[in-house]
Amino acid sequence: MRPNLSTIYLTLLAALLCQLLPWSGIALTMRPDFVLLVLLYWLLRAPHLCNIGTAWFAGLVIDLATGGLFGQAALAYALTAFFALIYQRRLTLFNIWQQAAYVFALLVFNQGTLLILKMFAGGESPGWGYFYPCITGIMLWLAVIFTRLGIQGHTDQD
Amino acid sequence: MPRPLEPQHSPAFFVRGPSPFARLIFFAAVSLTLMATDSRLHYLVEVRQGFSALMHPLQVLANAPSDLMHDANEYLTTHSTLLKQNSRLTEQALLQSAELQRFRSLEQENEHLRNLLGAARNSPQNARLGEILHIGRDPFTHRVVINLGSRHEVIAGQAVIDADGVIGQVTRVYPFTSEVTLITDRELSVPIQVERNSLRAIAFGHGRDTMLDLPYLPANVDIRQGDRLVTSGIDGVYPMGLAVAVVVKVERNPNSPFAHIVCKPLAGIENHKQVLLLDMPKPEPVVNQKKTAASAATSASQKTPAPKTPTAPQ
Repeated sequence: MRPNLSTIYLTLLAALLCQLLPWSGIALTMRPDFVLLVLLYWLLRAPHLCNIGTAWFAGLVIDLATGGLFGQAALAYALTAFFALIYQRRLTLFNIWQQAAYVFALLVFNQGTLLILKMFAGGESPGWGYFYPCITGIMLWLAVIFTRLGIQGHTDQD
Repeated sequence: MPRPLEPQHSPAFFVRGPSPFARLIFFAAVSLTLMATDSRLHYLVEVRQGFSALMHPLQVLANAPSDLMHDANEYLTTHSTLLKQNSRLTEQALLQSAELQRFRSLEQENEHLRNLLGAARNSPQNARLGEILHIGRDPFTHRVVINLGSRHEVIAGQAVIDADGVIGQVTRVYPFTSEVTLITDRELSVPIQVERNSLRAIAFGHGRDTMLDLPYLPANVDIRQGDRLVTSGIDGVYPMGLAVAVVVKVERNPNSPFAHIVCKPLAGIENHKQVLLLDMPKPEPVVNQKKTAASAATSASQKTPAPKTPTAPQ
């Protein structure tokens, strides 16, 4: 499957719908950041189609959906996308586990940035539960990667 | 013949547009501006409302699977469950109607006494039934979204209650939905009164868990475990006498001048789907003799505690 723009936007929309599902209780604290995962996937696989701007707009939509401060998630996503992009070319040469480790670092970085921004805006400090979505997120990432949708894509794998 | 300058313009090996760093700086600047505008100047309220109306179909779509499941569940409820529920509700209605009758007569008596005193009449607040659409998206803010919005003339600041007590306050209004901040949120505080001795205080949300704090009370304050806290009504948002919380722990540390009091909210946000939105109290109470059914419903659901001596304004 050669990535094109409509695939990217459709997957992002699907991720947004997953995010908007009425989660509650423990599932809500464990909910992975679907939109960020899809973004990272496309950032690493097709950086000419999905760039920092895409990440920023996705973050803005998330801000609208969550009712958070405008531009909060957008800034965190843009920063995370930046760090994903500067190592993107090297990352395609890594194996699955190294890639996953880097993606995990990016998820933690995104969550940490959001936390700092929220603290500035006057939120309270949540416990370690705040970082659970990173763990579920990386599990989801590995599940997707192991179903032969690797970053190298069709050209190197087959 | 090639132009002389061409060899010096080596084309980029990868066509990537502006460098990631340049993009980052641009978008970071935009989002910082947005954040500042949103948090300090509050210019973006209309923008947010407009976009949320656009997002509404998406929300409905996302809620569809669980709604469907809920409907299917309701459809498959067995006959005996319904019968059981019906008998329980009838019994409850009977009990409450007895209480309501007593309440009516007391209200009339109270009104009469107030007339004698020449005090301002407490106008009844109308209430409307809303439904919780979903819990807030962010697990670390205590908010719920309900199905009434500015189209239904909801305004920010309205109190939201359920059958057991105060849930919170409407903080943000969208065209079709509105956001209710729960009393357990760190940013919300409720003026309360201890039912036993009419001591006034302010309850603050903890934020981290579903508890309330009563800070800044002296260590020798007369509050015991099990005391019920009700709204004091001096803020002009919550009418007087709504149940808020019950004290679960009082810690008196000799090293601290303040007592550490933890309370548990009485309203069950997880248990119910329906909530009541109380209208904002009017600045000038209008003399209104006929009581609408809605106001009767409110009073019934408020479970007004056994009337203590009303503090008549002197």
